[in-house]
Amino acid sequence: MPGMWWWVGAILVVGLVAAYLSWTAGRVERLRVRAESAARALDAHLLRRAAAAAVLAERRYGVELYAAARIALDAEPEEREAAENDLTRQLRAVRLDPADPDCEAVIAASRRLALARQVHTDLVRDARTARGRPLVRLLRMGRRHPWPRYFDIDDPTLALPADVPA
Amino acid sequence: MRIGIVCPYSFDVPGGVQNHVMDLAEALIGLGHEVSVLAPADEEAPLPSYVVSAGRAVPLPYNGSVARIAFGPVSTARVRRWLTRGDFDVLHVHEPLTMSVSMLAVLSAKGPVVATFHTAMTRSRVLAAAQGVLQIVLERITARIAVSALARKVQVEHMDGGAVEIPNGVTVAKFSHAAPLPGWPGECGPGRGGTLGFLGRFTEPRKGFPILRDAFVELAAARPGLRLLVAGPGEPDDLLGRFPAALRDRVTFLGLVSEADKARMLRSVDLYVAPNTGGESFGMILTEALAAGATVVASDLDAFRRVLDGGRAGLLFPTGDAAALGSALTDLLDDPARRAELTACGEQVVAHFDWPVVARRVLEVYAAAIEATDGRVIDQEWVELG
Repeated sequence: MPGMWWWVGAILVVGLVAAYLSWTAGRVERLRVRAESAARALDAHLLRRAAAAAVLAERRYGVELYAAARIALDAEPEEREAAENDLTRQLRAVRLDPADPDCEAVIAASRRLALARQVHTDLVRDARTARGRPLVRLLRMGRRHPWPRYFDIDDPTLALPADVPA
Repeated sequence: MRIGIVCPYSFDVPGGVQNHVMDLAEALIGLGHEVSVLAPADEEAPLPSYVVSAGRAVPLPYNGSVARIAFGPVSTARVRRWLTRGDFDVLHVHEPLTMSVSMLAVLSAKGPVVATFHTAMTRSRVLAAAQGVLQIVLERITARIAVSALARKVQVEHMDGGAVEIPNGVTVAKFSHAAPLPGWPGECGPGRGGTLGFLGRFTEPRKGFPILRDAFVELAAARPGLRLLVAGPGEPDDLLGRFPAALRDRVTFLGLVSEADKARMLRSVDLYVAPNTGGESFGMILTEALAAGATVVASDLDAFRRVLDGGRAGLLFPTGDAAALGSALTDLLDDPARRAELTACGEQVVAHFDWPVVARRVLEVYAAAIEATDGRVIDQEWVELG
């Protein structure tokens, strides 16, 4: 009975396609969730750095650094990247002494922020690549959520003062 | 923190990645973390207590050399069992793009995954063809580490991703406390004496041994008592045959040395010479020589300049120039004050490469990966103290 084999073949193909589609949908969703977690971690690290900078500014270095830290803490989402870059510039302009605990807190927060930024950028890229695949777009798999966004700031790593004698 | 580390290559044979994994694991344990290492190894092979065997490795020709790796259903089952039992906070795999237990672990992992890329492989046709498959592996990785600027560049250009650059570490104490070989380095005064060291495969053109040989032959004629200490794979007769008969008794060949003997060898020289002409992505041997307190003379390669802090921690000479190397060696052998100055600077530079320091930076990447997975932030103190 050749007709039955046609049916078996068709069901097999439909099954495989369904499995591939659900795997792809799961993949898009998994990467989106991860990019969102990374964004929350990045947000937390930005707040920590700004808070550490504000503490330092209150004790020394004064108004300009304090204002930059305040603005970074209070910035609206669309102004936040510029505000954070401004804070990075202010922090680079002052000489930080790693022996001072408040300075060390800012240096450590900046280092952790740099890592969070790097990881966030990579994970957003993965999520966007998965979401941009033709099949995913055609079936509008991620439509219930906005596209994951990059957070585009300069590398916040602070150059440490050389501890090797020149 | 509970940390699971996966090494793709068998611990039965020594190698750069294996040493890196062992040193990292020991440094992390020293900082108070719980570490388990999964690697292919023979059942009866003696292994450190923190290593779990992933079964026997099969030798496979790969990329011009033979790699001993494990891949298949048995290995997969072992990897899964190890992951379940370990219940790790973070999984750290090395070289995840080789067909190995590293790749299996990435594909079976549920939590945050950190991957370290050692080799700077350039884009190959295989890599381009398998891009879709590799993407599945790559997108399961949360954070990436590259051990050199070159490895990082390959990441950025060919694998669509950034990576944090964390250099290879060196266990400074192992080198600085090693005892020199008996009778070495001997006397070194103005116009006479002195010991030069070279470690590596002297037959490999990229290691630049002929440049050192030319400089040595030139120098030894005018400088009585100058000696050359060579270690690495190769035949003694082949090495000595490269020197004029009159100079052969001033060349000592140690052959292939163990890690412990390598430290002793580096402690036995006045000047360590790295005449490489290229192909070095990091310059591990230079950090080891610095840790042993040798004065380093190296060719002016990007990787070497970086390790030697632009020439402050060691002398750089124009790559491939035997005459320039010769005069640099003469100047340094005659000037103990300058040698002491370079060695002191080298000591400070190598402190940045000391394993406990490097391991703390790796821990921060672990924290970043864990945070990016569940969105909560880990305290700095917790990262540092475990």
